[in-house]
Amino acid sequence: MFEATNELGNLVLSTGGTLTDPNAAAALAVGLAALGAGYAERGIGSAAVGAMAEDDDLFVNGLILTVLPETIVILALVVVFIVG
Amino acid sequence: MSAAGSPNPEYVIARVRARRGSLFGDEEYRKLTRMGPAEIARFMEESSYDAEINALGSRHGGVDLIEYALNRNLAEQFDAILDWSEGSLYDLIARYLRKFDAWNVKTVIRGVYTDAEQSAVETDLIRAGEFDDRRIRRLLEADSIDGVIEVLEDTVYEEPLRGAYAEFEETGVLVPLENAVDRAFYERLLSGLGGDEPTRQYESFLVAEVDFRNATNALRLARSGAEIDPAAYFIEGGDLFTRSSLARLAQNVDELVEYIGDSQYGEELGPALRELAEADSLIAFEHAIDAALLAYGDRLGTIYPVSVTPIISYILAKERETENIRAIARGKEAGLSPDEIESELVIT
Repeated sequence: MFEATNELGNLVLSTGGTLTDPNAAAALAVGLAALGAGYAERGIGSAAVGAMAEDDDLFVNGLILTVLPETIVILALVVVFIVG
Repeated sequence: MSAAGSPNPEYVIARVRARRGSLFGDEEYRKLTRMGPAEIARFMEESSYDAEINALGSRHGGVDLIEYALNRNLAEQFDAILDWSEGSLYDLIARYLRKFDAWNVKTVIRGVYTDAEQSAVETDLIRAGEFDDRRIRRLLEADSIDGVIEVLEDTVYEEPLRGAYAEFEETGVLVPLENAVDRAFYERLLSGLGGDEPTRQYESFLVAEVDFRNATNALRLARSGAEIDPAAYFIEGGDLFTRSSLARLAQNVDELVEYIGDSQYGEELGPALRELAEADSLIAFEHAIDAALLAYGDRLGTIYPVSVTPIISYILAKERETENIRAIARGKEAGLSPDEIESELVIT
C-alpha cells in the first residue's frame, strides 16, 4: 500500500501541475503521515480493545498506546510550518 | 465465528495473552498437590474456573466435579477463541481444535458400543471443536453406529467411517473405526496450509506433534510385544517415520530409541531417551515428549508475536493445565503422595 502511495506521489510531483507548489507538497506530506498513523492505530486499537475486554483496568493504557502513532501526524505538521 | 474477512491476530492475541497470565504456575500446582479433591474444587472456584464449578456444583461432587468443570472450561475458552478469530486465522486455529470433534465422535461411538447412558456420554464430551450443539445433540441421540455415521454425513469423517464400518462388523472391535476418525483428522490437519513464514512454523509444529505421536505409539507397541501390525497405527504427515520404517522399527526397542536419538528431535528428546534407557519407564518418556512439545509451543509464540503461533501456544498451555489438574485430582483420589503426583505433572 505504501509503495503505491509513494509512486502516486512521485508521479504527481514529476508531471508538474499544482503539486510542485511547496504548500501543496507539504499538505500531501501531512496526509500521507496521517494515513500511516491510521494504519498503525488499526493494529494497536484492536489489540487494546482485546486487552480491555479481558481487564477493564487496561482502558487508560490502551487509550494512550492507541493514540501514540498520532505523534507522527503532529511531527508532519512541522513540515507545514517550515515550508509555509 | 467465520472464515470470512481479513485475519485479526492483534485482537485475539491480546485477549489470549491476558488469559495466559491467569494460568496456574509452579506455586499453585505445589499448593494443589497438597489438597484433597474438595479443597481443589474450592481453589478452582476462586480462580478462572468459578463459573463452571458453580454451574456443576449442585449436580456433581468430588473428582467428577473437577473433571467436568475442566472439560467445560476448556470447551468454553476454545470456543471463544474461535468466536473471536476471523479469516485465515480462523482456519488455522480450527484445524487444531478439530481434534475435539474427533474426540467427541470417538466418545459417542464408544458410548453406543457399550450401551452407555446418554447423559454419561454427554458429560464426557468436550464441546470445543467445530460441531455445533445441534449436531452434538443428534450424535447423542443416535442409537447405532450406523446412525452416528449418518449424522456425520456432510463431514470429513463420513467416508473413512463408512470404509471402516465393514471391518468393524466383521471383527466387532472399535479399533478400525477409531483409527478412521484419527486419520481423517490428521489428514485434514496438514492439508493446504498457506505459505508465509509463521504458518510454516505452525506447520513444523504440527509435523512434530505427528512425529511424536508416532514415536510414542511405536514405543508402546515395541515394549508391549503385542502381535499388532504397527502400520495400522501409523499417522500420515510426519517427517520422522514412513509406514514401512515404523513397522520395522517397532519390532526392536533399542533400534527405535537409537533412530529417534539420531533424528532432528534428538536434542530435545535426548534426556528423555536416556531416562527411558536407564529407568525403563515409558511414562517418563511420554511426559518428556509432552514437555518438549510444550517448550516448542512456547518458543513458537515468541518468534512471530503477531501471527497464529502465540494463540496455538496458549491453547497448548491451557490443555496442559487441565491435564495437570486432572492428574492431581485423580492422583489424590487414588491416594498418591504429593511427590508422586508432582512427578506426574508436566510443568515448563
